[in-house]
Amino acid sequence: MGYQLVETITVGSGGAASIEFTSIPQDGVDLVVKLSSRHDTTSSLTEIRFNSDSTNRSSIRLTGDGSSVFSGSQSNIWARGNRSDATSNTFANSSFYISNYAGSTAKSVSVDGVGENNGTLAYQEIDAGLWNDTSAITAVELFPNSGNFVQYSTASIYKITAD
Amino acid sequence: MPTPTHTLIEAVTLATSASSVTFSSIPQTYGDLVLALNIKPTAALNVRLRVNGDTGTNYNYVVMAGNGTAASSASAASQDFIYLDYTAYTNITASVIQANFIDYSTDKHKSILARASNSTTGVNAQGIRWASAAAITSMEIYAISNQFDVGSTFHLYGIAKAL
Repeated sequence: MGYQLVETITVGSGGAASIEFTSIPQDGVDLVVKLSSRHDTTSSLTEIRFNSDSTNRSSIRLTGDGSSVFSGSQSNIWARGNRSDATSNTFANSSFYISNYAGSTAKSVSVDGVGENNGTLAYQEIDAGLWNDTSAITAVELFPNSGNFVQYSTASIYKITAD
Repeated sequence: MPTPTHTLIEAVTLATSASSVTFSSIPQTYGDLVLALNIKPTAALNVRLRVNGDTGTNYNYVVMAGNGTAASSASAASQDFIYLDYTAYTNITASVIQANFIDYSTDKHKSILARASNSTTGVNAQGIRWASAAAITSMEIYAISNQFDVGSTFHLYGIAKAL
């Protein structure tokens, strides 16, 4: 009942270009993905896509970086990963809430993320995302928009049941 | 078998459009409550909340919001309702809304943290205080202008604070 862990994936030595969950049960109501990530490039963007579809995604974000705040929109859905030039061993943390993932309507996504870099440039961000596809979500993939996840980046996926 | 963190109290999926949904007789056996909504609109609407049927001016909030173009923040005291979606009002696409009710049954003013995401209109995060020491025993989620459409889901979970 409630939150049930489906799977956890931790990146091993050598890094990984993506983290993918491919065996998502269809008996939940919502999905939650928790991500702790760091990249091997100076990109801080970690994207999420569903069923290997890189199209039909959009989102609006509100971001603070420690000195300013701004809002924008983009044609994908992302969270933040710590960059390679961030303080060693620091990782960003994000949570994706995917509502009615097994339903037959477009999928709305809520994203909360925060990075920390020893008091210097970092990000806190909330996003409203949409995957404009009516298919049930059977696979979830996370990937840096440049480079790889480094070792110890970790993602867990949970289903939320309504019974 | 892990201990469930979220226990479903009640789930409502609309079979016909409606202007409000009420959870009554909320048990007092949990530490916190989590409200998870997937709102489809019949047309543009805002989602409001009242607890315990309280129509007095006992609601206070501070909010940060982004609409894809601009970031903003606002606050207000002595309101007779609270917006769950504030500027991220529900329009065209479904909204994902989550609200956490902290220590909902203890003898103090109640803190509520709310997040709303709509990929058309934006995102917001709110801190809310209900200026009452009464335990929360019911809550009404209602629409201003238009209705919640068929398929909208309303889930209320309890979170235990002790094993």
